Amino acid sequence: MSEVRDRARRAGRLLGRAAATCALCGGLLAGAPAMRAFAEEPEGDNAVNTQQLPDSSFIYDTSITDLGTADTYYDNQTVQVTGEVVGDKISEGLNGRRCWITLTSPNDSSTVTVLMSSESAAKIDAFGAYGTKGTTLQVQGTFHLACPEHEGLSDLHAEVVTAVEPGKVTEDPLDLGMFAPGAAVVALGLAMMGVFYWLRERQR
Amino acid sequence: MWQRFTLYDIRVIGHYLGVLVLFSSLALLVPFVTALACAEWVPASHYLLTIGVSLVVGSALRFLRIEPGRLNRQQALVVTGLAWIVLALVAAVPLHLSGHYGTYLDALFDVVSGITTTGVSLITDLDHLSNADNMWRFMMHLLGGLGLIVVALSFGLFGKRAGASLYMSEGRSEHVVPNVVQTAQFIGKIAIGVILVATGILALLCLFAGMEPVRATLHGLWLAISGFSTGGFAPMSQSVMYYHSFPIELVLMLLMLLGSINFVLHSEVWKGRLEVFFRDLEIRTMFLWLAVMTCVFAASLSASGEFSDLPAMLRRGLFTVISAFSTTGFQNITTNQLTTALSSGAFLVVAVLMAVGGSGGSTSGGVKFSRMGVIMKSIVATIKEALAPDSARVVVDYYHVGRRILSPEVVKEAMTVFVLYVATYAVGALVGIAHGYEATQAIFESVSMASNGGVTSGISVSGMPATLEAFYIFQMWAGRLEFVTLLALLVEVVVSLDPRRLVHRS
Repeated sequence: MSEVRDRARRAGRLLGRAAATCALCGGLLAGAPAMRAFAEEPEGDNAVNTQQLPDSSFIYDTSITDLGTADTYYDNQTVQVTGEVVGDKISEGLNGRRCWITLTSPNDSSTVTVLMSSESAAKIDAFGAYGTKGTTLQVQGTFHLACPEHEGLSDLHAEVVTAVEPGKVTEDPLDLGMFAPGAAVVALGLAMMGVFYWLRERQR
Repeated sequence: MWQRFTLYDIRVIGHYLGVLVLFSSLALLVPFVTALACAEWVPASHYLLTIGVSLVVGSALRFLRIEPGRLNRQQALVVTGLAWIVLALVAAVPLHLSGHYGTYLDALFDVVSGITTTGVSLITDLDHLSNADNMWRFMMHLLGGLGLIVVALSFGLFGKRAGASLYMSEGRSEHVVPNVVQTAQFIGKIAIGVILVATGILALLCLFAGMEPVRATLHGLWLAISGFSTGGFAPMSQSVMYYHSFPIELVLMLLMLLGSINFVLHSEVWKGRLEVFFRDLEIRTMFLWLAVMTCVFAASLSASGEFSDLPAMLRRGLFTVISAFSTTGFQNITTNQLTTALSSGAFLVVAVLMAVGGSGGSTSGGVKFSRMGVIMKSIVATIKEALAPDSARVVVDYYHVGRRILSPEVVKEAMTVFVLYVATYAVGALVGIAHGYEATQAIFESVSMASNGGVTSGISVSGMPATLEAFYIFQMWAGRLEFVTLLALLVEVVVSLDPRRLVHRS
């Protein structure tokens, strides 16, 4: 009886894996044109990463939130994250060859610090701030829980950087109507202040 | 016999609270102008509305008593105690409207954290916050760091001859000059001077790091305010790590040290009396305490593989020690590193540093060096008395802006506040544990709140239990007022509500 159950479980697992693989392939095929639309990587270039570590050290599609709560398991692992660029491009050192970028998670406000070359950073067309959605980048690189090169900073050294989605600026519309409630309350407050000073002068 | 409020007291207290709320509308003009300058129209409309709300609420409270007369000591205690929470209720309005907070309580938590210079934040998506909202957060650090009452006194809101009771009820007991108003103005001048110089330096460093001029200037100003007021808010979610600049960290360490030194000693240095500075009990206690704790922290860091090398220890360790003891709360290591990469010993050392805090009469929180020094002197006196002959009279003195004799009153005050801090740390830890958090994390967070330290172990995040959030708000409030004002306020309220007690007024 238990043998039958085991076989059924194994078959179930195989079916599950096959379905997941199909779904992944389908997803990749469907997503490919959209990604290609903004990706600046020339096709065929960098197809083989000679620095790529064995498969066991590569954690595919890690979330930024996971890196924000990472333990030693993630240390020195090759990871791939996708997130919005926020803030500024901060130079690393005086030569300007590399720079620091902050990526924020699309799901929550977790962030990860990414060190990348200035050439890779040139793919960023907008930095996220108030009224600006930054470029969405996909970064593949090595995660350090406490980087020995940067005095213990928790960072991600980028190896491959791809721009997935361009940034977008949304300016606040100047609508005088939205100031009306505030102006009315300020007028009421000033009137009350006036009455107070009038009453005080009358009492003196 | 306990005294209770009369209707007259309540009307006078209401009037002066109204004065403070009206004053907050002036402070709100700063983010309003920032919003207009940066073309952030939606935040501008929020600040205009809040200015209106503070004008209406402030004026309504002032109507409670048209001619209030001068505040007596009991009324001053209550005005101070309530000012911190009443102003926070108004100040939380624009932050809540910003959409970066899950609930109004989250916004209130951030405002209390700002004005008590704690520096823990429950904000979500800080990196997309408008310049106006950020300016308001740092304005709260500035006002709270100097002291709401000190700021109000320096603007003459309580009259030119305001009583010392108001000034003392905010955890300050020493005057730089005999007049309270002039003392408050002197503190304000020192703070503005230091912040302006630091803003210039930090803005240049930010510019050099690659930031745009406007952003560099704003970040320079905000970091300078946060550093000197030992607040801990940062304009970016990665705190100080965001800048990847050792010179910026160095300037901030200097600012935090300046902010954690008694303003009376600032004035002595200003007058060129360096020997007064170095002979002071607080300064000596600070050097001794920091030397010991830095060694302990370095030893505990060397136990963890990640921070055991010298450059990492110097850059991350030293900054963390200064940020923790000054109760600022800037972080140049992530909260995750704090809980996973640091040894539990190093983690607890940070908590102990926050618990003790900086100097009395400064912008930092915690028990304070002055009290620790007095308690140590008291222990010395006890040992001396035990060893001295029966006929001998033991006198122990200490140096604090002149030679002073250690009196039982001074020791009693120091011991009372010390015990109240320790009890609050313990109760806060128990509350955290009761909410299901790890004991070490709960202890750390409780100490961080009551000492207004601001380094977080990860408990204080958006979506935390509302009851714990409310308790932490209370801890920050109580810690900033050093308990006595708040306890006096609570006792007066309870006694006033008890109908069995007789009315007794002296």
